[in-house]
Amino acid sequence: MGPVTRKRLLSIVALCAMVGLLLLPIVMALPSPVTGEEAPAADGAKKAEGEKVEKGRDVYYKTEGIVAGAPAPKTTDGPKDYPRYNFESRVLLWFANQQHLYYGSFVLAVPIFCMIIEFMGVVTKDKALAKRYDQLAYDFIKISLTAYSLTAILGGILIFTFLTLYPAFFGYLSSIFRPVMHIYALMFVAESGTLYIYYYGWDKMKEGFLKWIHLSMSVILNVIGTLLMFLANSWIGFMMSPAGVDEQGRYLGNIWHVIHTALWNPLNVHRILGNMAFGGGVVAAYAAYRFLASKTEEDRAHYDWMGYIAMALGVSFLIPLPFAGYWLMREVYAYRQQMGITLMGGLLAWLFIIQATMIGILFLSTNYYLWQAMGRMRGAEKYQRYIKYLVFLLACGFLVFITPHTMVMTPAELKAMGGQQHPVLGNYGVMSAKNGGINVIITTTVLSFVWYMRGNKVSTVSWARFGNIFMGVFFACAYINIIWLAIYGYYIPANVRVGLSVPQVATTLSCLFFMFGLNSVMMKGAKQMGAIEWGKISTRSQYALIMLATAFTWMMGLMGYIRSSVRLFWHVNEIMRDNSPWAYTHTVGFAANMISFNVLFFWISILFVFWLGSLAAKKAPVEVKAGVPGSVPQPAGSH
Amino acid sequence: MSALNNPVVAVIVSLIIAVGYFTLVDYYFMDMQGLDYWYLFRK
Repeated sequence: MGPVTRKRLLSIVALCAMVGLLLLPIVMALPSPVTGEEAPAADGAKKAEGEKVEKGRDVYYKTEGIVAGAPAPKTTDGPKDYPRYNFESRVLLWFANQQHLYYGSFVLAVPIFCMIIEFMGVVTKDKALAKRYDQLAYDFIKISLTAYSLTAILGGILIFTFLTLYPAFFGYLSSIFRPVMHIYALMFVAESGTLYIYYYGWDKMKEGFLKWIHLSMSVILNVIGTLLMFLANSWIGFMMSPAGVDEQGRYLGNIWHVIHTALWNPLNVHRILGNMAFGGGVVAAYAAYRFLASKTEEDRAHYDWMGYIAMALGVSFLIPLPFAGYWLMREVYAYRQQMGITLMGGLLAWLFIIQATMIGILFLSTNYYLWQAMGRMRGAEKYQRYIKYLVFLLACGFLVFITPHTMVMTPAELKAMGGQQHPVLGNYGVMSAKNGGINVIITTTVLSFVWYMRGNKVSTVSWARFGNIFMGVFFACAYINIIWLAIYGYYIPANVRVGLSVPQVATTLSCLFFMFGLNSVMMKGAKQMGAIEWGKISTRSQYALIMLATAFTWMMGLMGYIRSSVRLFWHVNEIMRDNSPWAYTHTVGFAANMISFNVLFFWISILFVFWLGSLAAKKAPVEVKAGVPGSVPQPAGSH
Repeated sequence: MSALNNPVVAVIVSLIIAVGYFTLVDYYFMDMQGLDYWYLFRK
């Protein structure tokens, strides 16, 4: 057997081992999820001989099932249920949870980027470009590897925090999820094994058939990572919208009902998009940091390119994120209207105004970066004079989006304004206007992207003039349609109005897909006005990337807090009451300080991770060619 | 194709396509939810 055949065989065996690792936990868990209610039923049949079988009704699915668990504990404030240090236990848990989530999101998102970029490298015909993509994918996974260890450590800290400070609640939650707890643990083992083989096998499997095997490993790695996240989401889904238990919180034997709660699917979609956008932001910030610290033109060019790719990937997931959020909120309202009102119209409504501000900042930073990035292209100057109109559209959309419905005021202020709502601005505090605002912002971001993509190119297709006019008219009509639907919403009843958000979203997505598609067709074989001069970008643009990442981090912290707070004084909504002294909602100021502290801690720790990564990079013998100023440096032949 | 490159023709054709498309989008996506897009105009 030749060395090449042996290598192939080994790589196939490794791939099969990964698939096996992926399937192992599922196979082990087959009896419980598949049989569902049958397992306890069979068990119950035996019991029937001796004792009476007790049945309960599922609080969500309304199906009957045999009681297979203990009721949710009725906790009391004391050392038994709520042991504590001389500090607020909830804040400690908040910190541990948030840090684990930040790192978890990062290490789940980055391998997906790696997969996409590695795939781009494999299918690209240009060999130099393929190598650059491959190097970039490798750089990405290298960053996530150190963060991966930290994620596992933080996961351990989180479990110990739960066990130490909330033993009764954690005991109950783990009793409900017992049938899948070991799957979660085994998935972690599978994820670690796959990640290490994927990373350390990079050089051994860099060409031909072996490269495809390597790419397949990244697919498996991401399937495992996504399943892990879905399982973790089922816990928070259960806490918010419990199912699979009766009104006393007794498990009814169907684990699928427990996992598949009312909010599980929207949470999954929202989280996966959020993680991707967050991961893109963090990698873009890393690239920006390296760009700013670069001493050579080659480094600047490389990190400029890396920052752009990370930002583009992150933003491509940021664009559908508000729609996923909207779906989640719709499902929250459908599940419990009161919960939706608490979130968006009651106790937590002000946090949504802050969230709107953060979303606005994200899109403003993205647009600003793209406009700055056009500066490194010859030919993109023609768009500069139109940017002020985009700024106007973004500012209008942003101001409408952040307008509160009502404000907390002193009696004197209330009198001066003539009521809780401002006579003019108060009109913009409703969902109809806000949907219009955010869709205008997203459509403008799509337009900025289209301009960036055609910045240094001139279309040579015979119908170029028609194509350009069509794109302009289509965008103009899209803006008009979005604003028209927003205004129309004021004149129709609420039950009809709520549906208008769907055509608004469809309008924005039409711009995204059709205009990107049309632009790509028009730019095929286009005349280049000049090469993109990577590295020749303003320093300000890099700060925009850092701003983007920071805003993402802050918003994630904020949204996590909002989602968690909506349970109010419940550990598990309407099933298990929180009787600790901290079962109240913090003030907005305290929450904001806590989120800022979490963000600061995350960024300081991730800077340490970046620094560690740079130490490894310095030691590696990297072959650097004397690059042409402004071009992307060629990657080293091996890692 | 050359007629389409005439700006006036291009604008008219583009307007017909875009306005028609967005009207369909509005109507279809409301109808899909069991809602009446033309509610105000029928009342």
